[in-house]
Amino acid sequence: MVQEQRSEQQAVSQIVVFQLENEYYGADISVVREVVPLQRVTRVPRTPPYVEGVINLRGRVIPVIDLRRRLGLPAGHTTKSTRIAVAEVGGDQVGMIVDAVEEVVRVPADAVEPPSSLMAQLDRDAVLGVAKVDSRLITLLDLRRILVREDRKSPVTPHSR
Amino acid sequence: MGSGFEISAEDIRVFLDEAEELLQSMEAGFLRLEAQGGDPETIQEIFRAAHTLKGSSATLGHQRMAELTHAMENVLDKLRKGKIAVTTELVNTLFQCLDILKEFKDEIASGEPAEVDTTDMMRRLAAFEPQGAAGSPPPVPGPGPEQPSPPQALPPLTPAQREQVKGASARGLQAYWADIALSEEAAMPAVRAFQALLAVGELGEIVLSVPTQEDVENDRIGKDLKILFLTRESVEAVAKALEQVPEITVRVLAPYRLDGGAPAPGPVAEAHAPAAPQPEPAVSVEHPEGADGGAHAPAAAQGNNVPFKMSKGSLRTVRVDVEVLDNLMNTVGELVIERTRLQQVLSRLETEREGDELSQVMSSALAQIGRLTGSLQEEIQRARMLPVDNLFRKFPRMMRDLAQRAGKEIHFVMKGEETELDRSVIEEIGDPLMHLLRNAVDHGIETPEERIAAGKPRAGTVTLEAFHEENHIIISVRDDGRGVDPEKVRASAVRKGLLSEEAARRMPDAEAINLIWMPGFSTAERVSDISGRGVGLDVVQKNIEKINGSVEIRSTRGQGTEFRVKLPLTLAIIRALQVELLGTIYCIPLGSVVETDRIPTTEIRTVRQREVIVKRGQVIPLLRLADVFGLARPEGDEEPEEIFVVIVAVMGRQVGLVVDSLIGEGDVVIKPLGRFIGEIPGISGATIMGDGDVAIILDVPTLVGSVQEEVGRLEPALN
Repeated sequence: MVQEQRSEQQAVSQIVVFQLENEYYGADISVVREVVPLQRVTRVPRTPPYVEGVINLRGRVIPVIDLRRRLGLPAGHTTKSTRIAVAEVGGDQVGMIVDAVEEVVRVPADAVEPPSSLMAQLDRDAVLGVAKVDSRLITLLDLRRILVREDRKSPVTPHSR
Repeated sequence: MGSGFEISAEDIRVFLDEAEELLQSMEAGFLRLEAQGGDPETIQEIFRAAHTLKGSSATLGHQRMAELTHAMENVLDKLRKGKIAVTTELVNTLFQCLDILKEFKDEIASGEPAEVDTTDMMRRLAAFEPQGAAGSPPPVPGPGPEQPSPPQALPPLTPAQREQVKGASARGLQAYWADIALSEEAAMPAVRAFQALLAVGELGEIVLSVPTQEDVENDRIGKDLKILFLTRESVEAVAKALEQVPEITVRVLAPYRLDGGAPAPGPVAEAHAPAAPQPEPAVSVEHPEGADGGAHAPAAAQGNNVPFKMSKGSLRTVRVDVEVLDNLMNTVGELVIERTRLQQVLSRLETEREGDELSQVMSSALAQIGRLTGSLQEEIQRARMLPVDNLFRKFPRMMRDLAQRAGKEIHFVMKGEETELDRSVIEEIGDPLMHLLRNAVDHGIETPEERIAAGKPRAGTVTLEAFHEENHIIISVRDDGRGVDPEKVRASAVRKGLLSEEAARRMPDAEAINLIWMPGFSTAERVSDISGRGVGLDVVQKNIEKINGSVEIRSTRGQGTEFRVKLPLTLAIIRALQVELLGTIYCIPLGSVVETDRIPTTEIRTVRQREVIVKRGQVIPLLRLADVFGLARPEGDEEPEEIFVVIVAVMGRQVGLVVDSLIGEGDVVIKPLGRFIGEIPGISGATIMGDGDVAIILDVPTLVGSVQEEVGRLEPALN
C-alpha cells in the first residue's frame, strides 16, 4: 500500500518552475514553501559569497542565497519579476533569489531524463534530472543538496588583518 | 470519562510534573534530615511525598516505582514512629532510592526502559526494619490475619451516607457495592487496594470503603476491600476498570439496595461477579490491625464520603510550552512591524491632508496600538520568567555528594532563590553554575585539617546567591576557602606555555588571577574526579558569554573567592545601541558599552601597527568593524575627519569599535541566524527593527577577544 503510494508520487510530481538566465528550473513543490517579492536583504558578514544575507519573513529571520551564484551562473540584474522562493530543507527555511517564478506543473516520471553531460556548467550533483514539459526543458534541482552548506567542515574564514 | 484505565499523554505529563516536584521535595527533605536529624515535620513531609508518589505511580501502572516508594514509605514510617534512627547509612540509602526514582521518572518521560535493578535496594530498605526482616520482597504490610478472612459485609451506614445513597437515583446515579479480594501474592496489597479505589473513584463517588481510603493509604489493610459507591456508569464499565488493576479478584460487583437500614448486598449478587461468596449479614467490621484501629473504625468509615480525587494542583495556573510563548512573541513582533507601516501611511496622510480629522483619529488609534503591543510584549516576557529556585534546588544534593567525595566539610547556603530569570537563561546557566560550584568545592575550600591549621572553622561555607542589580541578575558563587594565589597562577601559566616568564612577572596580581580564564589553564595539581572533567573555566566563561552574560572573579588569598555571573534578564530581548556601518544596522548589547565618542582622525595613534586612542590616560585599541568583517568600502569614499567610536569592555578590557554612525538605542528581540548561516565569529544573532529591516547583533566578547589574542601574539615578539 505504502509502496503503491510512493510509486504514484513518483509517477507525477508537482514542480514549481522558475527562471534563471532565461532557462527553466524546477523544484519539488513539497520543498518550496512560498514565493515572496524581493525585499531588502541585510548582508551578513563572513558568509560565503553566494549568501546574499538575511530577510525578515513575517517575523522570522531567514537566510537568502543568490541561486545564480550558487549554481555558478553569471550574475543577473534585479527586475520587477525577481522573486525569493522560500524552500524548507531539514526544518530550516532558506530563500533563493530567482529571476522569475513561472507556474506549477505536473511532471510525469517518464518525462524526466537523468542529468546529461551537456549540462557541464552546472554542478551535476545538484540536478535530479531534466523534464520535458510542453516542449520546454526544465532542469530539476535537488534543493536538499543545494541548500546545504558545502563549506560546513571548514568554518567561515576568520578575518585577515 | 472512558470506561477503561487509559493513560493519556496528558496524564503522563501531569504525572511527570508532579513527580518532579515530589522528588525535589524528597531531596530537600533528605538533606534536612541529614543536617538536622529527624524532626517530625521533615519526616512527615518526606513520608507524604513518598506516599503520594506511590499512589500516582501505581495509578500510572509503574509497578517498580510503586514498589520502591512503598518500601521507602515503610522505612520512613519506622523513622516517624521512632523505631529506627537517622544514620548516614539511612540517608545514603534514601538518596540512592531517589536516584533510582529519577531514572524511573525518565523512563516514563522517554519511554525507554531504565536499566535499574531494584532488588538490592529493596533488600537494603527492608534491612532498616527494626526486626531486621531482610527478606527478598518487602514484608507483607499490615499484621492482618494470616488465613483468608471471611468475606465481611459492609458496616452500617451513617445517616449521612444513607441520605447519599437515597439521593443517588435522583442524580441519575446508581449505587453498587463491590467485594474485592487482594491476591495473596501481591507484594503491596495496599497499592492494589489504592488502585482499585482510584479506578472506582474515577467513575463515580465512593460512599464508603472497608478499609477506608485513609487506612489503605496508611497500609492498614487486610486481604480484601469492600467498596460502596455511586456511579453513572454500567456494571460492565466498572468491572472493566477494575480489571486493569493487577493482583485483585472482584468477588462481587452488584447493585446495592437500602433495605430497611441493613445493607443487603446478598440477594442481588450478579452474574458478573465470578463465584460470589455469600456475604454475611451486617456485622460490625473489625479492623485488621485490631486494638488501636478498633476505636478508629466508625470515624474512618464516615470520613469516606468525600469524592475520591487526586489533587492536580491549583487551577489558577496553566502550563504552557515555551514554544507557544515564543510564537506569541514573534506574533507581537509582527504586530509592531505592521504598526510601523501604518505609521508611515499616517505620515503621508498627514502631509497630504494637512492633519484633518481622519488623520487625527488614526494618529490616536496608532498611539493606542503602540501602547497595547508594548504591554503585550511585556506580559509575554513576564510569562517566561521562572524563579531561579527551579535551577538552584538541584545543587544542595550535588554539593553534599561532592563534599563527601572530596573529604571536605561544606556548609552550603543558598540565597535569593525567588529571583526570577527568563526560562531560557535558566536552561543555559545550569552547567556553568555547576562548574563554578564544583570548582569551589574542589579548589576553593580546604580540607578540615588545613582549615583548622589556618584558624578557620572546620567546615567551609559555599554561598550561592541570586539578586537583581539594575537591569541584570547577578548570581554569585563564593567560598571562604584558600583564595586564588596569583603566584601559583603565574607559575602555572608559564609552565603551560601560555605566557612568557617575563610577561608573567610584569603582570599585576589582579590581571594574573584572570589568567584562569585562558583555554588550557587549570591550577589543579592533581586531577580529581570532581573538577577534572576536562572542562575548564574558559568553557564556563564562553557559555556564559553566549547568553550575553559575563563572569568575573574576585579573590583574596586565604579568605576566599567569589565568581560573579552577570546575566541579562532575558535572552529574548536586550537593550542595544544601534550603529550603522556601510548601510547595515548593527546592534551592540548595551551591557558591554562603556561610552560612545566622536574622535578626530588626527587623534588616532599607532602602537605596534595597531590603531589606538588614548582616553583619560588609558590606551584603547581600535577595531574597525568594516575591516574585521571584510567589508569593502565603495570607491571614492573619503576618510572622514572624525570617526565614531563605541567603546566596549569585557572583563575590564576596553576596545573601541569604529562605526560609520550612531543611530540610537532600544530594545531588540534577538533572533537566531539559523543553522544554514551557522555561527559567525563576532556575530551573535539578528533582530528585526521597527521598519521591518533586519539588523545584525554583534558578539562583543568575541570581538574584544580577537584583539586580546592579537596583542598576546605580539607580546613574545617584543620580549
